[in-house]
Amino acid sequence: MKTYKELPSDAGSNIIGQVEAQANRVQKRLASVKHTVAIMSGKGGVGKSSLTANLATALTLQGNTVGVVDADINGPTLAKMMGVRNATLEYTPAGVKPAITALGTKLISMDLLLAEDDAPVIWNAHTQKDAFTWRSAMEVGALREFIGDTEWGTLDYLLLDLPPGTDRLPNVAELIPDLGGVVVVTIPSEVSQFIVKKSVTMARDVLKVPIIGVVENMAFYVCQHCGEKEPLFSSDETLDTAFQQDLLGSVPFDPKLARSSDDGTLYLHEYPDAPASKVLMAVAEKVQAFFQSL
Amino acid sequence: MKFLCTDCDTAMKFKDVTRPEQGSVTALFECPDCFTEIAMFLNPSETQMLKSLDLKLGGNNEAAQPMQMVRSQLETGKSEAMPNEFSPGMSTGETAEGGKCPFTSAISDAFQEEPEPAEPSGPVWTVEALERLERIPAFVRPMAKMGIESFAKDNGHDEITAEVMDAARGNFPAQF
Ligand SMILES: Nc1ncnc2c1ncn2[C@@H]1O[C@H](COP(=O)(O)OP(=O)(O)OP(=O)(O)O)[C@@H](O)[C@H]1O
Ligand SMILES: [Mg+2]
Repeated sequence: MKTYKELPSDAGSNIIGQVEAQANRVQKRLASVKHTVAIMSGKGGVGKSSLTANLATALTLQGNTVGVVDADINGPTLAKMMGVRNATLEYTPAGVKPAITALGTKLISMDLLLAEDDAPVIWNAHTQKDAFTWRSAMEVGALREFIGDTEWGTLDYLLLDLPPGTDRLPNVAELIPDLGGVVVVTIPSEVSQFIVKKSVTMARDVLKVPIIGVVENMAFYVCQHCGEKEPLFSSDETLDTAFQQDLLGSVPFDPKLARSSDDGTLYLHEYPDAPASKVLMAVAEKVQAFFQSL
Repeated sequence: MKFLCTDCDTAMKFKDVTRPEQGSVTALFECPDCFTEIAMFLNPSETQMLKSLDLKLGGNNEAAQPMQMVRSQLETGKSEAMPNEFSPGMSTGETAEGGKCPFTSAISDAFQEEPEPAEPSGPVWTVEALERLERIPAFVRPMAKMGIESFAKDNGHDEITAEVMDAARGNFPAQF
């Protein structure tokens, strides 16, 4: 009797071929993208999405063509933060035309596909029971289509805003084998740094993805009365030396930044002279310098 | 997955796949020598896993459409993201003009459930219960409806009243 290896193919479904075709679609699309950058943090709520939005705007203002993938499939915030929540996606055989911000940054987000403001992502299934067994496969599939099926055109930078957690980067690294690098976001608290170190290890040691650098967000607060820098967290919580080496910048806490995100107005455009804007522009320059030095 | 006809020692070939019934698909394989057929049943979890991976049994010869998985599988999506071809009424791949739409057939042939029978055999809804159902947010309504109906069936109710809904309520996260 013949054995598994002696039978020619998989009875006609060509599953391997189908998986390869999916990967090829992404590769073909990324051929016209110069640099891909994932913005990540093991910790939630530290400002990954705010940083992605502002970094994308900064790179655009510095003369680059920039696209953004909101890779947070279940908690998409970038369409709101970048002021394009009302954009209607256009579907053509060549791909999906992304939303475009006031300054010309391109964005794809699950938020642009959901029917209602309060609608969560619910996938079609015979039953939602045991959805944990297949839900993450759907999410990776969605991300693959966001990267591969959006009509990005030629881009200098494609940024990906990851959901919190150490486990997300491996999915991205699999979809984008030659991922340009990651920007890691932390806040000064020890708890945040403790978790964020794990994501650095995951990126650098496990996945061998280059670390572009670390952004310390909500690093301090500038007193509106005296202009003094005040720590937002406990003053003895300093940035770990491991992070200091790779530091791209320390972004102050600025209520106007939070407000701009809520209103979907572009902070860097509105407040170019704010201390946080200057740091964000400098971070964007360092990201460019990182790729120029390669 | 490979299948061998043990009588002929020949690799079996994929022949056909049904659309899911109760979430489960059936694939037919045939021996090219003796024409013996076997049926492979995928349970709902296996069917769902294939669907999540956007893989088609029997191969995929259709050109991929942009974001076809998200657009066809997102239950809470905007309607313009789900063009006509996706609407459940046309799940056989027939377009309004009567033509065969490659996009729909690519995605639906394998995974769109068989349409519900015209004469629903499930429990009957009272007007009051239907009004309450209307108050459930649109995007979870189909799921809630299915859940309540299966609760009623499991508990031997032929009619869904407000009381049955109250009783079913404990089983769902959605408020109604
Ligand atoms: N430097 C800052 N100054 C003021 N507010 C900020 C700053 N950075 C972020 N915020 C605010 O903090 C909140 C959380 O930020 P954001 O959503 O960007 O975090 P996140 O890391 O993406 O969260 P999640 O883990 O949920 O994806 C938002 O309301 C945002 O406006
Ligand atoms: Mg976020």
